[in-house]
Order: sequence, then structure tokens, then C-alpha cells
Amino acid sequence: MALHTETPSRASGPQPEQAQDRRGALIQTEALASLLAAIVGERGVLARPSELSAYSSDGLPGYRLRPRLAVFPHTTQQLVDVVRLLARKQCPFVARGAGTGLSAGALARGDAVVVGLNRLNRIISIDPLNRLAVVEPGAVNVTLSRAAGAYGLHYAPDPSSQTACTIGGNVAENSGGPHCLKYGVTLNHVVALKVILPSGEITTLGNADGEAEGYDLLGAFVGSEGCFGIALEVTVRLTPNPQGVRTLLADFTSIDAGARATSAIIAAGILPAALEMMDGPTIRAVEASIYAAGYPADASAVLLIELDGMDEGLDADVQRVEAHCLAAGARTVRIAANEEERTRLWQGRKKAFGAMGRIAPDLVVQDAVIPRTRLPDVLREIAAIAELRQIQVCNVFHAGDGNLHPNIGYDSRNPDESRRVGLAMRDIMQACIDAGGTITGEHGVGLDKLEYMPKIFSPESLAAQCALRDAFDPERRANPGKVVPVHSCREWVGA
Amino acid sequence: MSEPVAVPACAIPGTPLANATAGIMACVHCGFCLQACPTYLALGDENDSPRGRIFLMRSLAEGDLALDDPSVHTHIDRCLGCRACETACPSGVPYGALLEATRATLAQVVKPPLRARLILALFARRGLMRAVVAAARALRATGIPRLLARLPGDLGFAFAMLASSASPLSRARYRSRGTGARGSVSLLRGCVMEGLFAAANRATERTLVANDYTMVPAPNQHCCGALHAHAGDLEGARTLARRNIAAFEAAGAELVVTNAAGCGALLKEYGHLLADDDAWSARAAAFSARARDVSELLAAAGPRVGAPISYRVTYDAPCHLQHAQRVHAEPLVVLDAIPGLERVALVDSDQCCGSAGIYNLLEPALSAAVLAPKIAHIEVTGATLVVTGNPGCLMQIGAALCRAGVPARTVHPVELLDASYAAAARSGR
Repeated sequence: MALHTETPSRASGPQPEQAQDRRGALIQTEALASLLAAIVGERGVLARPSELSAYSSDGLPGYRLRPRLAVFPHTTQQLVDVVRLLARKQCPFVARGAGTGLSAGALARGDAVVVGLNRLNRIISIDPLNRLAVVEPGAVNVTLSRAAGAYGLHYAPDPSSQTACTIGGNVAENSGGPHCLKYGVTLNHVVALKVILPSGEITTLGNADGEAEGYDLLGAFVGSEGCFGIALEVTVRLTPNPQGVRTLLADFTSIDAGARATSAIIAAGILPAALEMMDGPTIRAVEASIYAAGYPADASAVLLIELDGMDEGLDADVQRVEAHCLAAGARTVRIAANEEERTRLWQGRKKAFGAMGRIAPDLVVQDAVIPRTRLPDVLREIAAIAELRQIQVCNVFHAGDGNLHPNIGYDSRNPDESRRVGLAMRDIMQACIDAGGTITGEHGVGLDKLEYMPKIFSPESLAAQCALRDAFDPERRANPGKVVPVHSCREWVGA
Repeated sequence: MSEPVAVPACAIPGTPLANATAGIMACVHCGFCLQACPTYLALGDENDSPRGRIFLMRSLAEGDLALDDPSVHTHIDRCLGCRACETACPSGVPYGALLEATRATLAQVVKPPLRARLILALFARRGLMRAVVAAARALRATGIPRLLARLPGDLGFAFAMLASSASPLSRARYRSRGTGARGSVSLLRGCVMEGLFAAANRATERTLVANDYTMVPAPNQHCCGALHAHAGDLEGARTLARRNIAAFEAAGAELVVTNAAGCGALLKEYGHLLADDDAWSARAAAFSARARDVSELLAAAGPRVGAPISYRVTYDAPCHLQHAQRVHAEPLVVLDAIPGLERVALVDSDQCCGSAGIYNLLEPALSAAVLAPKIAHIEVTGATLVVTGNPGCLMQIGAALCRAGVPARTVHPVELLDASYAAAARSGR
């Protein structure tokens, strides 16, 4: 299916089981565990239910699915051997990085094995001249930027979880982050992928020169949520650090005013590096945390706006942004005086999701995109839904690109509250769809958004997605049951 | 969203863990703690991460896992208790308190290992402890431990630890004078500090006096109980805490100071430890409010600048100062008062060295795995002195440097300040 392929090597991986299991029959879990341990060692396999519990949820803990086993390869060759073993045994699997995802995408149902990639965390090479880096899938996002920093470069996509999440997970979810407003999402920064398909075949998608080679299969793989295979090596583009950076904090007495300021800034033709909004409840959760950033606690909304680029002209843009904020009703606009203050302002924003634990024991976060001009309407509608369903919504989101993240804290021990939260989530999603938006900006579909897929895609479109998936994974063993509703595949695959 | 996960009532009512469930519920599973956790970084298993351990705690509380489940014990035992996760946690999960409650709960079912119980029993017996450290000191004075420090295995490491507890600085001799106007202070001498790091204790007294504090002896003090609390022996820790509260109340000083980060962290938590003890809770809270690390007192005073001493130094933050007490800047302020130092930044100085109380004796392999990157980072600095304010860290890092042949020693920051003051006294300033 692609230009560079290697056939599964017979020399690699354990051999003894092949004779007894030619027919590919279902294998006992215990036997599978020992075959996996033969590849990765005893300490690389988890089989006890008590130890698999930690892998039964990810960053969205409203879902729990206990996997069959979890296996942790330490080298690329071990990973290849593991995938090929699972292919021979026809065993479904789910790739998992740091488990910080927010759509329950890294959960494995009881017949599937979690393939943990967090031990494959090496930065293989950095080429400062061509501004490229090659990393293993388990490399943590922020460690790449730290390593590239020595050359005045960084890796631009910066999901809020960047201190923990992995590049492999970013590839699977096509992750965004605050700075994607100007710099683009993961897809815009991955130039090549060496992947292993669920069949065990190794192939390279894209190339480091950026030349097109037929159909854009790299584009299909990035954002495929682990349904197309596992990345062995990721080649990413590094971005030069901007000459100048200015970070502004504007505070408002209404969400509406903040939304108007957002629209005005973009309409004026200014492209900030990031334009983030946080509402009052979010501000107060952050200010109560170790990441307190000095946001005004009595504000109804703050905008965190970053401008970067050549020093020349930067301050003129700052003044224009400041004027737009004040015209929209900002009480104050503060400009970070130094790097320390800038870091603090950003830490508060990036850790806001985690800080929600202060509000309630359980948390769901929604991820929807709407046309930016509809921000004031949709935010008002979300507030109305919260009131109707008697729940508390905290909004912290990428205002510049209309990517909403309503966070709803609740207590899962309260069945009635849990039910109301579920209803509110559906209402909010419907409101976003009605406003001309879509159901995910950057968190992926996973399990959480599955039910919304038929709301935005026609049956034909879903069937086409199934067909694409079948090209990569005809047995549907990679992250089964995610992204496209199974009934769509069954009903429409022949249409 | 899915059907809500039904959570049954607490399955282990009346246990320390049952009282800590609010802290467990604060975790929203964001995973921001993962990269802060030394054992997760070393082992790559979420069961050995804060988030995974909290999941295990929750499973215990909800009855999904039994208290005698061996894998629970494995992963809870492996926690260093460094609390780096607390300074990464946006939700403010009180991880240290959860860990102690969990260990106390598990200890009701499975006793801690014999080695741990022996060490804790020793620390709880003041006279015996003094005899043991006196013997250790005598052994150290013979120079034998330094000769045997390169022996393989735990024994060699133990000799290296003992050898590295000797001060690398020549003994300071000067008369310390100050106005005493900053208030009265009693020093928690500390079992290991007074036994093996007496020079640091004397330096603490002299530098505090030089910075206008008045030292008041507190004669009947005991072991602080930190090792007991970390191991889950909360009752043992409470007994010691009560004795210390009484001893320091009797001494009557305004503040209680310690130069051992691990001891200081617990002194500041006596209020929490005795919160349910009606007779002691108020006294414990008042005691904790008066407890300070020596660097806090010196930083508050200025501190007075000494004479130049020339060393290439790097600072490593003890976890119980950095993460548990959240004292970050003060030790650096102390070093700022010493002219002539060449300061080199240490990569990952906020990461644990693997000492973690008696952890290095109970989990030597994992402790060594956590320590290895620390030593590599220190070697890169080219520093001849590694400055850190906790006896465990001083010995753990010192031993590893000695065994690896790295030409660097460990020293308490206050000793360095004291040396600077001694130099000033010599030059008549």
C-alpha cells in the first residue's frame, strides 16, 4: 500500500508457539501474557486485574474499561515483535501513550491488549539545519521542545497536557493547543511517519523532504486515533523561536465582551500566536491552585493573548489588540513584564483542566468547534443549558479558533446529577452543531463522541471512513470500537 | 458520556484511608503528575505513578481491591514519598497525606518488613539511637568506612554513606555575635543531624545568632517521627509528636527551627497528624505554625554577608523542602550571602535523589535507579560541593559520588554560610 515496506520478519519474535497456533485460534490470556513476556520481559507485561485498573481509564475518567493485558515494549524491535505476535493471534490492541487523552480513546475493552508506548521515549535525532527531529512515539511533547531549545527551535503544537502527553498520542489525535491558532495543528508539523500496520507490515508515510509521493496517506494517518496502526518513528518539523513575544491578559466583566473582543481582533486582520478565554469559575479554580497566575478573581472572563514575531511592529500590534479589548469593554489589559510572568500566565491556562478537581470529584470536558463569529451566541446558550440542567459549566478554550472546552464538574456518586450532566453534554453538543460547528476540535472522537458522529456525517460518509480504515486495518483490530460507530460499518460498508 | 460509574460506600470504614477519601476524589486523572514522578520515570508503569497509586487507593476504598492484594503493596511500597507530584498537581491532591493514610491502612493487614520495623524502633528509642550513632561516629573516625566505600552491594553503599556524612569543610572556629532582636528559636537537633552532622547543627546555631536570633535549648526533644509517619506507623509518629510539642513548649522559644528538610516537613504537619486528638490538636497546630526551616529564618533576616570563600557549588533541592514545605528560594538566598562561590545550575535539581528516608535501605535497586541520573547531572556541573539541606540526601548523594569516583562532596548550605562567617571573623571583618 505504500512505497517503503518490509514484510514481517520470520527471524524476529518468539517462534515456539507457531506450530500449535497456526489456525490463529483465540489464545488463552495467560498464554498470550507469557508470549508477550518472552518479547518484552516479565516486567513489561501486566496481567493482574489489580494492576490493569490503572489502565482502565485515561484523562476522561468517566469511562472505565479494563484491558485484557498491558504490554510495554522498550525498543522499536520489541514493539514490532509485539504487534506481529498480536497479528498472528488475531488479538485486538490499543496503543496508549501517557493516557492524557480526553475522549476515552486509549481505553481497551476486555478482549484487547493495551500496547503502552511510554517507554519508547527517545529523541532519536535533531537536525537543526533542516529543522527536523525524529522521535519515538512515547517521547513527551515538552521534552522535544526542551531539547530543541538548544538550537533556538521548538516543537510548535502545545496541547495543555504537553508536560505529560506523548508525540505518538499527539499524532493519533492530531492534537492542537493554544499556539495552533497561528502555527497549525500536529498535522502541519509531522512530515514523515514510520508506522507498523496492524498486520505487522512496516511502512513509511510522507518523507522528510516534504515532497509529495502520491496520495497523502500521512494526512490520513495523523488523527486516525490509533485505528490505522502504530507510529514507530515520527519525523517532525521544528519551528524557530520567535524574535519577540508579548503576552497580554485582558479581563472582562462579561463573557460576551470577551467574545466580542476576540472577534474584533481577528476581524482586524491580526493573527495572534494564541487567543485563549477563561471564564470566572475557571479563573477561581486556577487561582486556588499551585498554578495561581494572578488572574483577577472577580472577572467574568479573561483573554490570554499572545503576539509573536519580528520585534519590528510587534508593539504596534500589541497596542491595536489592547485598543480592541478596551473598546469591547475590558477593565484592564496587562502585559507580561518578563518571561517569569509570561510563564505564570500560561501555566495557569494550561493547568486549568487539572485544577477543576477543586470544584467537584468528577469532571467531563467537551470539545467542539464553532464558527468564531457565533461565540457570543453559543456561550450564552451553554449558560442557559447549564441553568436548565442545574449544573456548573466552566469554560476554558481556544477562543481564537472557536474551539470550545466546556468543563462540567460533578459527583459520579450522585446518579441524578450524573444524568443531568449527560443530558447537558448532549444539549451543548447539539447547540454547537446547530451553530454550524463540529463535534471535536482536538480531543478526538474516541468513545466519548461516538454517538455524535451520525449527527454530522451522512451514512455514506461514515461508510467511506470505514472503507479507509479497512485499507489500513481490514481486521479492525487496532483500537476497535472507536471513532466510527460500528453499526455504520456494518450497515453501510456495502452501500 | 457513558453511564455514570456507580461508586459504593467506603468498603473500609474506620481506616485512615477511609478518612482521606476527599483527597482521593480531588484527582481528576489529568496525568500532569506523571513526568514529575521519579518511579514512573524509572519504571514506566502507571501503577508506579501518582495517578496510578491514587487509582489503587480508590480501588481499596471502594472495595474493588482487597487490603492484602500483593500488587497494591508492591506499588505503594515503591513510592518514594518525595511529593514532587504535589507541586505538579493543579487540583491540589494532598498526596503525601494519602500515602501515609494508605500505608497505615495496609500496615493493619500486612506488617512492614522487619528491616523497616527495626529501624523505626531504633529511632523511637532515644538512648539506643544515641548509642548507635555514637558507634557509627567512632567507626567513621577510624577512616575505615571510606576505605570500604567501594565494596560492592548494599554494605559498600552503607559504608560510603557513613563516610560521606563527615563534613568536607574544616572546622569553623569563631565567636558568633548578634543582637538577638529577631526573636528566640529552639533547634530540633534531629537524630541523624546531631549524631552524624553535628557540625551542621553548630553551624546552624552560630549563623542564626549572627543573624540576630536568640538560641534557646529544648532539652527533652525526641525523634520527629517523620520516618514513622512515612512508613504508615502514624501512632508511633503521634507519640513522638506529643513529646516534642511538650518539650518545645517547655523551652518557650517563639520559633522551632530545623535544618533537616524531612524533619521540618513533619513538624509543619503535626497539626494535621494530631487533628483528631482533642487534647492535642490545638497545641499541635500552634506548634506547626511556629516551625521553620533554617533557610527560611536566615532568608528572612537578610542574611548577613560573610567573607569570600571560593568553591564551585551546585544546589540540589531536598524533596521535603521543595515539594513538601514549598521552600524554594530561601536556600538560594542563603548561598547569595556567601561571596566567592561559583554557582552552577543543576539539571532536574527538583527531582528526588532516591534517599527518601529509609527508602534506600528498603528498595535499594529502585533507589539506585532514581539516583543515577542525579549523579550524572552533578558530574556535568563540575562542582566540587553539592549543597543540599537534608541528612538523607547528603548521605545518598555523597555516597554515590564517592563510589562513582566523582571528585565532589556534599555539604549543608548553612555549613557553607558558617565557613564564610568564620573567614570573615579571621580577617577581622
